Amino acid sequence: MRDQAQIDGRAARLQNRNGDPSWAWAPYRPDAERPWTLELAAHLYRRAALGANWGELQQALADGPEAAVGKLLHPKPETTAFNQAFDAYENAATGSDGGVPAWWLRRLIQTPDPVLEQMTLLWHNHFAITNARVNNPAMMCRYVHLLRRHALGRFDTLLESLLDEPAVLVCLGARANRKARPNLDFARALMERFTLGPGQFSDQDVQGAARALTGWFVSQDEARYIPREHDSAPKKFLGHEGDFDRKDLLRLLLEQPATAPFLVRKVYRWFVSETVSPPDALLAPLAADFAKDFDAGRLLETVLRSNLFFSSCRQRIKSPVLYAVSLIRGLEATVGTARLASDLADLGQDLFQPPTLKGWAGGQCWINRFTLLGRARLAEDLLAGSGPYGARLDPSAIASKYGQSAPEAASRLLLNLFLDGSLPEETRQALLAAQARGPDQGPEPLRRFAALLAALPESHLA
Amino acid sequence: MILKKALSVCAPVLAVLAVQAAGLAAGLPPASRWAPEDAALVVEVSEPMALLEPLLSPDLAKAMTALSTNQESTLKLQQLQGIVAYLELQLGTDWRAGLRALLGGGFAFALEPGGGTLLSVDARDEKMLRQLEETVRQSAVGQASAQGRAGQVASRQYRDATLWSLATNEAHAVVDNRLLLANGPATLERALDLRLEPDGKCVASAPLYQAARQAVGRDARAMVFLNMQKLRLVAKVKEALAGDANPLGALLLADTREALCQANWLALGVYLDEGKLVLKTFTDGQAPAGAKTVAFANPLNAGEGLLPPLEVTGRIACLSLHRDLREFYAAKDELFPERTSGLVFFENMMGIFFSGIELTEGVLGETWPDIRVVVAAQRYDAAIGTPAAQMPAFAAVLRLRHPQAFGEIVEEAWQKAVGLANFTRGQQALPGLIIDRASHGGVKYTLSYFRPPGDKNTAAIDGRYNYRPSLARPGDYLILSSTDGLAQDLIDAVQKEAASPPTPSQAAHSTLEIDGARLHAILLANREEFIRKNMVEKGGSREQAETETGFLMAAVGCLDRAVLTLARQNAHPQATLELKLKMPDGKPEKTTAMK
Repeated sequence: MRDQAQIDGRAARLQNRNGDPSWAWAPYRPDAERPWTLELAAHLYRRAALGANWGELQQALADGPEAAVGKLLHPKPETTAFNQAFDAYENAATGSDGGVPAWWLRRLIQTPDPVLEQMTLLWHNHFAITNARVNNPAMMCRYVHLLRRHALGRFDTLLESLLDEPAVLVCLGARANRKARPNLDFARALMERFTLGPGQFSDQDVQGAARALTGWFVSQDEARYIPREHDSAPKKFLGHEGDFDRKDLLRLLLEQPATAPFLVRKVYRWFVSETVSPPDALLAPLAADFAKDFDAGRLLETVLRSNLFFSSCRQRIKSPVLYAVSLIRGLEATVGTARLASDLADLGQDLFQPPTLKGWAGGQCWINRFTLLGRARLAEDLLAGSGPYGARLDPSAIASKYGQSAPEAASRLLLNLFLDGSLPEETRQALLAAQARGPDQGPEPLRRFAALLAALPESHLA
Repeated sequence: MILKKALSVCAPVLAVLAVQAAGLAAGLPPASRWAPEDAALVVEVSEPMALLEPLLSPDLAKAMTALSTNQESTLKLQQLQGIVAYLELQLGTDWRAGLRALLGGGFAFALEPGGGTLLSVDARDEKMLRQLEETVRQSAVGQASAQGRAGQVASRQYRDATLWSLATNEAHAVVDNRLLLANGPATLERALDLRLEPDGKCVASAPLYQAARQAVGRDARAMVFLNMQKLRLVAKVKEALAGDANPLGALLLADTREALCQANWLALGVYLDEGKLVLKTFTDGQAPAGAKTVAFANPLNAGEGLLPPLEVTGRIACLSLHRDLREFYAAKDELFPERTSGLVFFENMMGIFFSGIELTEGVLGETWPDIRVVVAAQRYDAAIGTPAAQMPAFAAVLRLRHPQAFGEIVEEAWQKAVGLANFTRGQQALPGLIIDRASHGGVKYTLSYFRPPGDKNTAAIDGRYNYRPSLARPGDYLILSSTDGLAQDLIDAVQKEAASPPTPSQAAHSTLEIDGARLHAILLANREEFIRKNMVEKGGSREQAETETGFLMAAVGCLDRAVLTLARQNAHPQATLELKLKMPDGKPEKTTAMK
C-alpha cells in the first residue's frame, strides 16, 4: 500500500509547506501527489465525526473531500427531532449523577450530526465546568444543552449565554457575586481560560472585571440579577475606564487581539494537531477571520477543508470517549452506555467531570501503561461474544452486510475500517496471514481479530 | 439450525414440566429409580398438565404476540412459530394436543455432582414420542451433512436400548414411552443400567431422598430435591452459606441460613390448592439449640407472636415480622461479627438522636417484638402535582412498651433526623422539609413536607415530592411513614386493630403479602423510567426496551396475590409461598411516549 520512501518524501514536502498559511488554509484539492484516499476519508471522519462505518467511508470516497465535508457540516433533517428526543431523555435522567453522561454517550454513538457533538465536546473541554463542583446533574444537563445549541454558532453568543448559566456560576464560585465582595476567580477564569488566555491581563483588570460581573446570584437553580448588588462605579479594565457591566466586559474582551488567536489555537489543537504548536503567523488568517464575528461554524469549515487538516493524519491521540465511540460507530451498533460511562471514567474521561479547571489535558496525558491496558480491555469487552456489553458489536454481521463474509475478506474489511492505510503493507499482510492461519473460523476469531486491531498503537491515534 | 431451534423449543418446556413418572405405560417405574444415587438435584413433577394447562391458553399466546413489538422479537417469534408449524405437520397434531400427549406422563430431571444431567420424559402417546424423536434426529442428520459433519449423528446399542448422539454433549434413547436425554453417553448408560437393575443404587432408594419425599408428601404436583451434602461441596454454594452475614439478612432470615448449613437435604414441594400454586420447603436442617438466630425470632411468652398484616387503602405489600430487636442487637457479635465495627457510626448517630440513651436496652428494648412494614400506592395532591418517578409510600409500624415516656423521646429523635436532613440539603442549596403537626382520628401526628414547587407543569415534578415523612403515635403504636397519607391510613388501621386485638400466631415468625394488581400498577406508572433505564443499561433500541419491559410488566401482571410465610416446623425452618395467578388479557400495555 505505501512505499516508505514515498511516504518520507511526501512528508518532507508537506513539512516545508505547512508553515505557509496561504497553502495551509487553502481548500484541499486532490491531485496526483495527494489523492483522495480511504486514509484521508477515514481521517476526516475520525477527527470531525467521531468515526465512521464502512458505508460512510465508501460514500465519502465516492463523494470526494468537498462534498464529504459539506455533508458533515450540514445537518440531516432528522437531527432536530433526534436532539429533542435525547434532550428529553437527558432531562428525565437528571435524578442520578450517572444518568445524564450515559445518555450523552448514547447520543454520541447514535447522532446523525456528529460534527455538532464534536464541537460540543470541544467547548465542554474549553469551559471545563465540572459536576464535581456543581453537584447538580440537572444544572449540568442544561449547561451541556446550551453548549450544543451554540456549538456551531457564534462564540460571543455562546459566551454571553453561559454567563447566565447557574452551572457556570456555581462551578466558578460565583454563586453569590455581590458588590461588597466581587468574585475574582470568576473574572480570572473568564479572561484566562475562556477568552484572552494566560498572561494577557493584569490584576487590576481582574479586579475591574470582577466588579463588572457583580449582581448575579444563583438562587433555586436559577441565575438572577439583583441590581443593588451590582457595582456601578467606574472601573478600569484593559486600558479602558467606565461604568462597565457584563455586556461591556464581554465586548471589550472579544475586541482584544489576543482573544481570537487563543480560541483558534484551541480549535487547531482539537481538529488538526496536538503534537505541533503552530506559530502565530500560521493561525493569523484564521484568527483574523474569526474575529470578524466569532462564527465557529465558519472557522470549523475552513479548518476541515484545508490542506493542513488533510496533512495531519494520526497526529492526535484519541480521547477515551473518541476511542470507544469510534469503535462502536464503526461497527454500527449501540451498547449499554451506563457501563460505558463508568469504564471511560476509569480511563480518565468522566464526561461530566473534567479533572481540572483547564479541562482534559489530552494528548500524551491520555496514555500510560495503565490506560493502554485499560483501553485494550475495554475493546475486548466491547467486542466479546458475551459479557458486560452483551455482544452488541458484531464484526461478522458488518462483514456480511458489506458482502465480505468470507474469512479473509472480513478480516481485510476490518483492517481497512479501523486502520485504513495507516499500517505499513508488510504489517497488514502479517496480520492477515496470522488471522488466516487461525485454528477455526466464524464470528469468534473475527471478534478477537477486531480486538487485536483496536489494541494496536495506530488505533489510539486520530 | 432446525435441530437447535427444536431443542430450544422443547427443552424449556421440558424443564418447566418436571413430572414424576407414575408408571403410566408399560409398567415403567418412577424416573427417580433411574437417576443416580448421588444426584445433587432432582426435579420431579407429577401431573404436569395441571401446571402446564394455563400456559396453553390462547389468551397467553395472544399476549406474548402482542408483547413482541420490535423487529427482533417479531422475527424470533416467527422463527418459533415456523418450527412449531413444522413439528405440527410432522406429528399430525396441533401443538397444544402434542404437548399434552408428549408430556402428560410427566418427567424428571437429575443433576449429578460431576455435572452429568439426565432428563426423563414420559409421554402419553409413545408413537408420537418416537415420531418426534425421529423427526428431530433426521433434521440433525440433514444439518450435520450440510455442514460437512455427516458422522456427527451416531447410534449404538447399549444393553437392550439404542443410544443416539446428535452432538458431542448430547445422548438420548427412547425406552417404551420414556425419552431419556442426557448431556453425555456415560450418564445415559448409568440410567439404562439402573433400568435393568431394580435393586441398583438409585436416588429413589437413597435415605435422604426418601426422607425428603416423605416430608413433601404424595399430594405434591412437583418436587425439587437438593442433596445439601453434595451441594455444599460446590464452591459458590459453600461461599454463599459461609459468607459474611449482614445485619439485614440476619434480621429477615433468622435461623434459615444456619439451618441450611447443617442440613443434609432440602426439598421444595409444589401443590395446587383451590386455584393457588403453593410452594413449600422442607429440610432436616436446624439451627443449634440455644442459637441466637432462633431466640430473637421466636415467641418466648404466651400472647406473643406474629401479628397479621395491616390493611390499608392501596396496599401493595405488607411484611410482618416477629423480631425481638433487643435480643437481635444484643447478639450482633454472634450474628454478624464481621460487621460490628461498621456499626460504630450507626450507634454514634443513634446516640445523638436519642440523646445518649443506650441503643440496645434503652431504645430497642422499648419495642415489642412485632414489626410491620407496609408499602402502599400514593395519592398525590393534584394542586401540587405528580412526580415524574412515582414511588410508593412505605411505613414501619411498631409497638412501644412505654408509649407515654418513650414516645416523646422517639418524637424528639425523629425531629432531629429531619433537621439533620434539612441541614444537609441546605448545604447543597436544596430545599428542606417544613415540620408541622396535624390531627387524624383524634391522634396528633407530626409531618414534614416540601413547600410546593413553583413549576406550573404539575405532571412531572421533582422526585422529592414523593416524600412527606411523618410520625404518629396512636396508643402504644409507633408509625414512621414516608407520607402523611399512609400515616393517616395506618392510624385508622391500628385503631381498628386495638379495638379488636388479633390473636398473634405462634406458628410463623415472618409473613409477606403482595398484591399483584397494585404492584403492577406502580410498575406501570413508572414504565417510561424502566424503558429508559433498559435502553442505557443494555444499549438496545427503544422498541427492544419496550418489549423487554412489556414482558416484565406482563409477568408481574400475572400475579394476583402472593403470600410468603417463614415458620419453624419442629425446629426446622420452613418457607411457604402461595401464589394466586391470573392469565393476561392479551391487551397491550399503554405506551407513554416521551414528550
